[in-house]
Amino acid sequence: MNKPHRDTICVEEAEIISHDAWPGNQYILRILAEGIAADAKPGSFVHLTVDPQRPMRRPISIMRANPKTGMVDLLYKVVGEGTTLLSHRKPGERINVMGPIGNGFTVDQTRSLPLLIGGGVGMPPMIFLAEHYTELAGYHPFVILGSEVPFPFQAEPSKLIIPGMPDGVIAGVPLLEEWGIPSRLTSLQGYPGCHEGYVTDLARQWLDAMDESDRKQVIIYSCGPHPMLEAVAKLAKAYNLPCQVSLEEFMACAVGGCAGCVVKVETDTGPAMKRVCVDGPVFEAATVF
Amino acid sequence: MNEADQAMLAVDFCGLSLTSPLVLLSGCVGFGEEYTRVRGYSNRDAGAVCLKGTTLEPRLGNRPHRVYETAMGMLNAIGLQNPGARYVVDKILPTLDFSETRFIANLSGSTVEEYAEVARIFDDSPIDAMEINISCPNVKEGGVAFGNDPDMSARVVAACRKATSKPIITKLSPNQTNIAENARRCIEAGTDGFAVINTLMGMAIDIEDRVPIIGNNQGGLSGPAIKPIALLKVHQVYQVCREHGIPIIGQGGVNSVQDALEFLIAGASAVGVGTALFYDPLICPKLNRGIVDYLKRHGLSHVAQLTGSLRLNS
Ligand SMILES: Cc1cc2nc3c(=O)[nH]c(=O)nc-3n(C[C@H](O)[C@H](O)[C@H](O)COP(=O)(O)OP(=O)(O)OC[C@H]3O[C@@H](n4cnc5c(N)ncnc54)[C@H](O)[C@@H]3O)c2cc1C
Ligand SMILES: Cc1cc2nc3c(=O)[nH]c(=O)nc-3n(C[C@H](O)[C@H](O)[C@H](O)COP(=O)(O)O)c2cc1C
Ligand code: FES
Repeated sequence: MNKPHRDTICVEEAEIISHDAWPGNQYILRILAEGIAADAKPGSFVHLTVDPQRPMRRPISIMRANPKTGMVDLLYKVVGEGTTLLSHRKPGERINVMGPIGNGFTVDQTRSLPLLIGGGVGMPPMIFLAEHYTELAGYHPFVILGSEVPFPFQAEPSKLIIPGMPDGVIAGVPLLEEWGIPSRLTSLQGYPGCHEGYVTDLARQWLDAMDESDRKQVIIYSCGPHPMLEAVAKLAKAYNLPCQVSLEEFMACAVGGCAGCVVKVETDTGPAMKRVCVDGPVFEAATVF
Repeated sequence: MNEADQAMLAVDFCGLSLTSPLVLLSGCVGFGEEYTRVRGYSNRDAGAVCLKGTTLEPRLGNRPHRVYETAMGMLNAIGLQNPGARYVVDKILPTLDFSETRFIANLSGSTVEEYAEVARIFDDSPIDAMEINISCPNVKEGGVAFGNDPDMSARVVAACRKATSKPIITKLSPNQTNIAENARRCIEAGTDGFAVINTLMGMAIDIEDRVPIIGNNQGGLSGPAIKPIALLKVHQVYQVCREHGIPIIGQGGVNSVQDALEFLIAGASAVGVGTALFYDPLICPKLNRGIVDYLKRHGLSHVAQLTGSLRLNS
């Protein structure tokens, strides 16, 4: 019997290599998890044990994975007890991590202008996807990130010109810049160089600045808070663009066993409850919003 | 584990030969294949695997959130999401590898007739046994409403008994006053075994919005937090079962070798593992190993020797 799903998720006692605090209660956690790094895809996530006191695992997206070194980078924000306990873990300690889990983003070979929109701690999968595009020829991705707490990196003025950007909206992500991928930032907090508004405002201006034939080359990928995803999905619909979103829901098993993490999805045969962990976390926006 | 050690774990459970007393619990392992995604996990490490609760018609289940961690436990209100008995038998069972373990269906319904109909559908299938869930706290009709009433419990069991000759395991609710009396009535009605206990009803509240966190408002509490309650219920049901030779799958919060042994000593012939899989998907081989080590340390040759070996304080 053909069972391709079998043995696709590793369980590893991963060593914490570094654990850096950023303003806004954000942390970047680097772990050594070779099995996970080997198979991780943009959009896939890990399910990790934060502490024996809170034995239920927490799902966190993979931001970067290096199959050669076995390093996996995560970015998370402290929001409750589990993530607080996680933030106390120190380099040299080991944490139990399951992964990689889930269906990631699908590259559309017919669309050369991917627009990646990440909000808050929805940024990690966008970074991973951007890095993936550096390995592919013929694509020109553009990344828009939004945050209401300071960005978990040192933003710098971008040297890569993007038509349609409002004056003064020049801040970008150095790492993406290094990869030759342009990016712009938004926030309502008035951070220097960032657009004061929503990610969808910038996206709209970018789309409006291009001609019709280019616009047909656009596909939108997004991860972030639910209201933001809803707005992104609406934008995609208005411009008649394909759009893939990565969703979140409370999880128990993260392997498809409990049906705890479902989201209502429109299918050809009517509404269905799909599991975010293994049927997602990435879904076609039009089927969920 | 070598063959001699494995033989120490073998149990006969109402006619089913299980290679281990561990039973993976309904609702935690989907329809039997989900955990095989995990490298190092094998259905062979469990004596049996109980499939997700199945009704006659497909069900979409409850709105999210459906799961939530609480102190040493969790709430769930899945609402019996399942594709319906016919689909399970026609489309899912043929994909399972019955050489790996014993597969047990978990039946639910909102009427006595529905339970019987689902039992009939599974009767004509390769399924090894049927667990009758008269204790689901997360659906409006049926479920625990049947399980709390000994007359209704007995009627459901009797109707299923008529519908199948496969082993029937009745899953009892802790949300009732006299579990022993209920067990006695179910034995009279023809059950071959028991599963004790299902989840306890509970709630969690979001204090900022002042709403229940679980979409269904209330949910079933499982995990280590419920273990002491579960142990006492197993002990009570065992008092009734012992004279009839009816075995029990003890369950509720098993998360360590110690927990598994406690259930066996209290009167269980097999031990269920549910929520603990969420904590550690590779827990089964560790539990098997630990049970064997314990048996050896106590000069016992077989796990069945532990069942009901509790000596009460006089
Ligand atoms: C696929 C996926 C990827 C994610 N990626 C990231 C990421 O890269 N960075 C990041 O900071 N966060 C991410 N999250 C959200 C993260 O899992 C939650 O913030 C975290 O579980 C909160 O745990 P807590 O105990 O601190 O919070 P509490 O609010 O105390 O959590 C209580 C319970 O609710 C659950 N819960 C609460 N909020 C969420 C949520 N948004 N999603 C899922 N479960 C939740 C918790 O797991 C826990 O069981 C992701 C969630 C999913 C589903
Ligand atoms: C997410 C979840 C779903 C469940 N679904 C079912 C079900 O469909 N049918 C059933 O009889 N029990 C169901 N249960 C109850 C378990 O089978 C088990 O009896 C209970 O969780 C106690 O064991 P545990 O503490 O080891 O999890 C479910 C439990 C959980 C956590
Ligand atoms: S978390 Fe269990 S099915 Fe997704």
